Amino acid sequence: MGRLRRSRTHHAQRDVHRASRTRARTRDLDQIQMIDLDPKNRAKLEAQPLDFERPGLGQHYCVECAKYYETDTALKSHWKSKVHKRRLKELREPAYTIQESEFAAGLSTQGRQGTATAPQWEGAYSV
Amino acid sequence: MRIEKCYFCSKSVYPGHGIGFVRNDAKMFRFCTSKCHKNFKMKRNPRKVKWTKAFRKAVGREMSIDPTYGFEKRRNIPVRYDRELVQTTVKAMKRIAEIRQKREHFIWRARMRVAKDKLTAHRKKKRQLEKATSVKLIEPVAMESEEPERIREKVKVSAKSRSALIPGEGRSMGMDID
Repeated sequence: MGRLRRSRTHHAQRDVHRASRTRARTRDLDQIQMIDLDPKNRAKLEAQPLDFERPGLGQHYCVECAKYYETDTALKSHWKSKVHKRRLKELREPAYTIQESEFAAGLSTQGRQGTATAPQWEGAYSV
Repeated sequence: MRIEKCYFCSKSVYPGHGIGFVRNDAKMFRFCTSKCHKNFKMKRNPRKVKWTKAFRKAVGREMSIDPTYGFEKRRNIPVRYDRELVQTTVKAMKRIAEIRQKREHFIWRARMRVAKDKLTAHRKKKRQLEKATSVKLIEPVAMESEEPERIREKVKVSAKSRSALIPGEGRSMGMDID
């Protein structure tokens, strides 16, 4: 008996192992949300100079999905696709950051400019 | 030495443990185990993965805003060693941990109480619904029939009448053709 392969087992995700290598890492959601979606950066990304290394010479770029397309029709059909709409939905809520991970661990968020003074414990004992 | 926090599950990462990933914008991501690293590579959102601290805090399973969290900080300027200060710090750490544990337990109990009430209410409702909609089975009653049951009897045929010559009243399965 051979294995009966079910249909629709990959949800538009092919070759997960290759894609998950850190050297092939694509732009993260927080990068897109905080940097790329800024109107200034967005305009720059959408009007890139000709680049022979990129697909479609880097002329058809989807900022939300951080992906180059070969032609304008391909980009337009991508905008209508489920993958793109799913990404838009993910970008609607604030992205997870290192600060949030530290906050969840119980670190207070007074990160960068820590004070040199010794911590004051007086209040702690009264609690 | 600094005890880092895991990017994915927010556990403490002690020196010599875990792995770090530096993204091409020079941001450092620390991971306590390969499990967390793999999940990061799969681009999962820790806020949506149930076993992470971020999930538990986001959903409200654990307390997130509390004055006991204000003490642990990322301090980028070192403090000169002072025996007195270390002593009081260690003492304070123990006391804070104690207070925090008590508060966490209190919150947990309140949460469980609500959950239990919800469960009992749900069970009660389900039971009532079952009662209302259940099909009542009528017990089968033994009925006495008016006519006595006919009993088939075997009719004995004597061996004599069975003739080998003319079986089946002349319509035998013999070889003869008429």
